[in-house]
Amino acid sequence: MRKQRLSQSVPPETDGEQQEGQNDPSQSTNTVPQGPPDRKKRRQNVLRAGLAVVAGRAAGAISRRLHLGGGTSVVGIVAQRIYPEIIEHMAAQVEHGSVIVTGTNGKTTTSGFIAAILRDSGLRVWHNREGSNLMRGVASLFVIRAKPNGQLRRSGKRAISILEIDEATIPQIVKALEPRVAVFNNLFRDQLDRYGEVDSIISHWRQAISQMPASTTLVLNADDPSIAYLGTGFNGKVLYYGIDDPSLDLQKQPGDNEQYQVSDARTCSNCGREYTYSLRFYSHIGHYHCTSCGLQRPQPDIRVIQVQLDSFDHNRITIEYIAQKYEIIVPLPGLYNVYNALAAITASLAVNTDWQPIITGIEQSKPAFGRGELIQAEDKTIRLLLAKNPTGFNEVLRTLFSEGIARHILFILNDNIADGQDVSWIWDVDFERVVGHAQTLVISGTRALDLAIRLKYAGIPQKKMTIIPHMPLKSERDKRQTRQQRGAHKKQKEHQTSPTSEQITSQIANSYGLKSALDTALKQTPVGETLFIVPTYTGLLAVHRELEQRGLTPHFWEGKEV
Amino acid sequence: MSDGFTQPLTLTLGHLYPDQLNLYGDRGNILTLRRRCQLRGIELRIVGLGIGDALAPDEYDMLFIGGGQDKEQAPVAQDLHEMKGIGLWAAIEDDMPVLAVCGGFQLLAHYYRPAEGPDMQGLGVFDAWTIHKGARTARCIGDIAIRWNGQTLVGFENHGGRTYLGTAKPLGKVLKGNGNNAEDYTEGAIYRNAYGTYLHGSLLPKNPHFADYLIKLALQRKYRSEFHTDQGTPEEFNGHIHIDQVPMDGSQQLERIADNVGAHLLPLDDVLEWEAHASLLERLGLHSEVTAVLAAQRMRKG
Repeated sequence: MRKQRLSQSVPPETDGEQQEGQNDPSQSTNTVPQGPPDRKKRRQNVLRAGLAVVAGRAAGAISRRLHLGGGTSVVGIVAQRIYPEIIEHMAAQVEHGSVIVTGTNGKTTTSGFIAAILRDSGLRVWHNREGSNLMRGVASLFVIRAKPNGQLRRSGKRAISILEIDEATIPQIVKALEPRVAVFNNLFRDQLDRYGEVDSIISHWRQAISQMPASTTLVLNADDPSIAYLGTGFNGKVLYYGIDDPSLDLQKQPGDNEQYQVSDARTCSNCGREYTYSLRFYSHIGHYHCTSCGLQRPQPDIRVIQVQLDSFDHNRITIEYIAQKYEIIVPLPGLYNVYNALAAITASLAVNTDWQPIITGIEQSKPAFGRGELIQAEDKTIRLLLAKNPTGFNEVLRTLFSEGIARHILFILNDNIADGQDVSWIWDVDFERVVGHAQTLVISGTRALDLAIRLKYAGIPQKKMTIIPHMPLKSERDKRQTRQQRGAHKKQKEHQTSPTSEQITSQIANSYGLKSALDTALKQTPVGETLFIVPTYTGLLAVHRELEQRGLTPHFWEGKEV
Repeated sequence: MSDGFTQPLTLTLGHLYPDQLNLYGDRGNILTLRRRCQLRGIELRIVGLGIGDALAPDEYDMLFIGGGQDKEQAPVAQDLHEMKGIGLWAAIEDDMPVLAVCGGFQLLAHYYRPAEGPDMQGLGVFDAWTIHKGARTARCIGDIAIRWNGQTLVGFENHGGRTYLGTAKPLGKVLKGNGNNAEDYTEGAIYRNAYGTYLHGSLLPKNPHFADYLIKLALQRKYRSEFHTDQGTPEEFNGHIHIDQVPMDGSQQLERIADNVGAHLLPLDDVLEWEAHASLLERLGLHSEVTAVLAAQRMRKG
């Protein structure tokens, strides 16, 4: 009889199902034992959790079988429908608690570093991966590690969960679980149409932090003024990290003096006066103080005193912590990845990790999905560098050209919902850097034309760009079709292969879509050289899918612990 | 035209509050104006006018004001009243071209009424006002196309406030999108040569005709003629004024010639710009507009 009820209640009418169970006296005596109300409730919760686990995992299996996707988020969606407090229920069972990681840029890389470090320290690490940083992704993470009785595997012993959390999801996650460590890495403008303005994110975070218990340790970037200010007034422990290497100042970077920098935290969080910088590394990241109210960058507890670039993806950093120095190699490109490593190290110290696993964890890390990832394509190399907002893009460009070598580049600009539908931000990116540094340049994506105009106004001659939009204009297609209908069969073929003189798209390549963009870019890259692909988020997914189909990379979700 | 001398034309653009109001790719508008001037040999100087800087109308030929975060608009509104108001008014009454985008547009209208809290006073250049109806009313977000001057303008809009026009003329009629308030199909506002709009994305790169229109207005205003003559057909403008004789009154001569050529800016290669313009129209389902744009482009190419 219970089995029957189970299978009936998989659809989301769980509330009704529960009421039915309470009202029907014959059943309640069987399934719900009489007792104090809280015990009764707990028993109910265990049942619902079990049900949620079974239903979620079934849905995931079906989704995978039908090739609807990785089937990771559907697990969480279904489980949450059945038991909205599933995260709360499960997270409480994890012995070493949860580390949450957020920020505009570097969430995936930072949480990847933390996971690697803690794994090396001997803990069982449960880590939500790429693209599952909303509530449903977190729910999935737990559900796929739970048994049908609603208990985590091995009751969560020696386990710790590392949760990468979307900026806008922080208030919800903080309601659902008490984080042991909360890492706030940075805050830049990103997808204004989706997240709203930077100020509104900060006020949501501030509110979320006020709800955290004093047992939580905040790990904050001292060099990002709006992040550092989150620590003021917090009851629990706060650990700051920062960089103290004056040679990284923008003023001292060759050719960088007149570069355009978008600052997303110009004014003092305390009094509203403009910050003064003694050192500025990029955007609003640096050593700042307020001349009006005296607000200062907090002294970092963990600081990098030297950054040395050995090669493109080999940053040698020296860290100082409680009068001890440690040298670590960060195997990823760019100063932003030094910050990510530093955030991860600080978070690991906050859960009392030794230095040995910290060093091995960082040094042996592989780039996360699309974040500097290397792919071998026969006799050429592809490097994927995700860039999804002005500061991220600026830093990718700076890193790309840091060695002064001209590169082979494929830009992909999409404006799907996950990318942000407003592409105005490309005008805040310093594409002027690309001038003279692109050996070959292909531009693709749903907004290829917007990006091409941006590059044109940056001063790149149109002849140097190959523009491959995702599809031709419909009116051009129609025109060609009617001509085809009128013409004979032979002519029809000619028209398909050679463009008509009337077409205004003459300067734009007559091929469309990502596939041909990738082909063209690879063809333009000489044997033995590297093609740098810089996509927005959905562009990255599309490139990966394409590379998978060519057998160059494993399946996107294969690496996931499903 | 033998032994005359040539003199390069210069324009000065005042960029209001570049640090405070820079949220929606406003830099694209500035870069576009600069580049389109440069390609015609016109020197466009850009002067940033921050909080506390005065605005002397004689020093500028064109003004731009962008959009920003709510927090940053309040000090800007105050500065606009206390520091720049008189200068800005004088400039506008003297027909200076002014482009105000998004937050800048709201600041040049009468007031901005937030869902909570006190009104933010604007300058009242446009007889219009903006009301934020609270978090429950959806923001106006998305691609937009409007009809302006018999042509189309395309862009992206993202605003919470709804703007209502009093006697102000709209910039254009909404073809697809929300516009000022998602109710009456108006978009933006015009007063003399001041243009307010919600279109960004950025606005000018994909609307080269509108960018050139603003440049022309500035050129005509700066070098306007006091006497209209019929000195042959106007030459196509290449950024230099050719002066046949060393004039007695050099400035007057200069003005006259610029007036002629100002209306005929050297056409540029805008294939990419129009292609992007057309592709946005197509996304919005405005197929007849796409055809019109492509036909006009073919005409331009000859």
